[in-house]
Amino acid sequence: MRAGAPRDRARTVSVIDLGGGVSWVHECFPETDAHIHVSVYLVEAPEGAILMDSGSFHHRQRLADRIRDATAGRGIGAIVLSHSDYPHSGNIPAFRRDWGDFEIIASCGDPDLQGLPYARRTKIGDVTEVLGRRFVVLDPPLADRNHTTWVYDEASRTLFVADGFGTLHAPGACDIDWGRIPEDGRAEGVHEFHAQTLPWLRYADPDRVMGALHAMLEKHPPAWIAPIHGPPIAEADVPRYMADLSDALTRIAERN
Amino acid sequence: MNEPGSDTETTPAAAPMPAARTGAGWRRDVWPGIHWIQELGGHRAGIARAVLESGADWYRPGNELYVPQNAYLLTGERTLLWDTLSPASGHILLPALEELLGERPLDYLALSHPDVPHAGNTMQVLRRYPQCQLVAPAAGETHALYHLDDAMKVGPGDEIDLGGLRVRFPEATFLDAAIHTWMSEEATRTLFTVDWMGFPHQSGESLRRTDEIDTVVDVGRLEEFHSRVMFWFQYVHPHKVTAATDALAVQFAGYGLAPAHGLPIPGEDAAPYYERMNEVVRRVAAGGRGGVL
Ligand SMILES: [Fe+2]
Ligand SMILES: [Fe+2]
Ligand SMILES: [Zn+2]
Ligand SMILES: [Zn+2]
Repeated sequence: MRAGAPRDRARTVSVIDLGGGVSWVHECFPETDAHIHVSVYLVEAPEGAILMDSGSFHHRQRLADRIRDATAGRGIGAIVLSHSDYPHSGNIPAFRRDWGDFEIIASCGDPDLQGLPYARRTKIGDVTEVLGRRFVVLDPPLADRNHTTWVYDEASRTLFVADGFGTLHAPGACDIDWGRIPEDGRAEGVHEFHAQTLPWLRYADPDRVMGALHAMLEKHPPAWIAPIHGPPIAEADVPRYMADLSDALTRIAERN
Repeated sequence: MNEPGSDTETTPAAAPMPAARTGAGWRRDVWPGIHWIQELGGHRAGIARAVLESGADWYRPGNELYVPQNAYLLTGERTLLWDTLSPASGHILLPALEELLGERPLDYLALSHPDVPHAGNTMQVLRRYPQCQLVAPAAGETHALYHLDDAMKVGPGDEIDLGGLRVRFPEATFLDAAIHTWMSEEATRTLFTVDWMGFPHQSGESLRRTDEIDTVVDVGRLEEFHSRVMFWFQYVHPHKVTAATDALAVQFAGYGLAPAHGLPIPGEDAAPYYERMNEVVRRVAAGGRGGVL
């Protein structure tokens, strides 16, 4: 097993351990030609389990079962939300019914309008503590909704991201990290994902987007990039991912 | 000029405003057959501060400043609701619909995009009007993730004849999500844009069109909205965006604009707004985003 490859914690498809108390609770959804991940991540914090995003209502029951299993029945103590888009935020009410009125950390300018009147607001640039673990709140260069934030977990050096850094995958390649996806078609999965998910990229200057991403990765070097809509990207694979992403942005820009 | 919630006392000559209601209320006939239901949201203190610091003269200190959500009810022989406001405003939307529709059914609910502040009352509307046909953008791949798999899908080339009013679904030129459409109405010549062409307004300006307020909607005012919501303007080649804006200005020359987050702009006044938006893009591309909404 190469360094940094995720280890299956259980023989069943439960959660995949990325190390540092972070695990990938992968779920995906079939599109016409490929699968798209709509995952969540679990982070073990000193005072409880943090869920990064809440996943899609399609996967509600399975997610709830897997989270219960992975936390030995304790459930979750907080959710850090990337943005209040239904496939990311849709399970919050149900999970709060299951596990009590735990804390929701979200970045929106007006939580009421996003249907999250109970959320604790964070701002870009904050360093925020959640259940005793510190997260840096970052301004995402690849996002759809303006209130999206990415967070960097200092303890594990994991960068949690949505919607950027996704990769569409072939059926069957649902539970492997990015570096282990067969190279044939992998770059196309990066391109397809960004072309369909972030329509504004047709107007983008790829150099400006890539410049902002490189600056972020330099300041917050990730052991893992943990996307909601793609497999996790290990540190050793980040340069190859960034090269594929740069090509993808150039293709999207040139087509329009 | 009235506060929202007061009875109407001024009646602009160009457009009688027989029924404007409540602080977050609704208005009959912003144009013939097009009714406007507005959610103000709370006072945006941060934006108000930024506006004051910018030296803008359209905002009067002490006024509340709003970035509204708008829904529009179109009533021909058949009826169509465009967007539903945020989940915080079901109590505004449903009574407004009941009062505007009376005994009439709601035939269509069309969503610009499944974003919480626009689609937040979809289920309540469909429960209240069970015969209503849900209409969703055809664009995008993940409709099932939004409960939109069974909706009627519309895009460029599609038209719904409401009898007297005809709506079409041009591509959303500036979209914030893959599943997204704009709408036009061809009898009144109105283009409904979401989220593009939003801007803040202040106390006394709610439920007014731009020709009914005494302040200007200049580049700076449009920038307050777009430098936050269209944060990605900071990463673009401005000429690509301005080319798309110029094309829109030609395609919809003479159309009034009914934005989701601003005040409606009459067709005869619309042309300079496209020019102002081009300046907004150049400014954000040079200066970066203004914050978060
Ligand atoms: Fe999103
Ligand atoms: Fe919006
Ligand atoms: Zn997403
Ligand atoms: Zn899959």
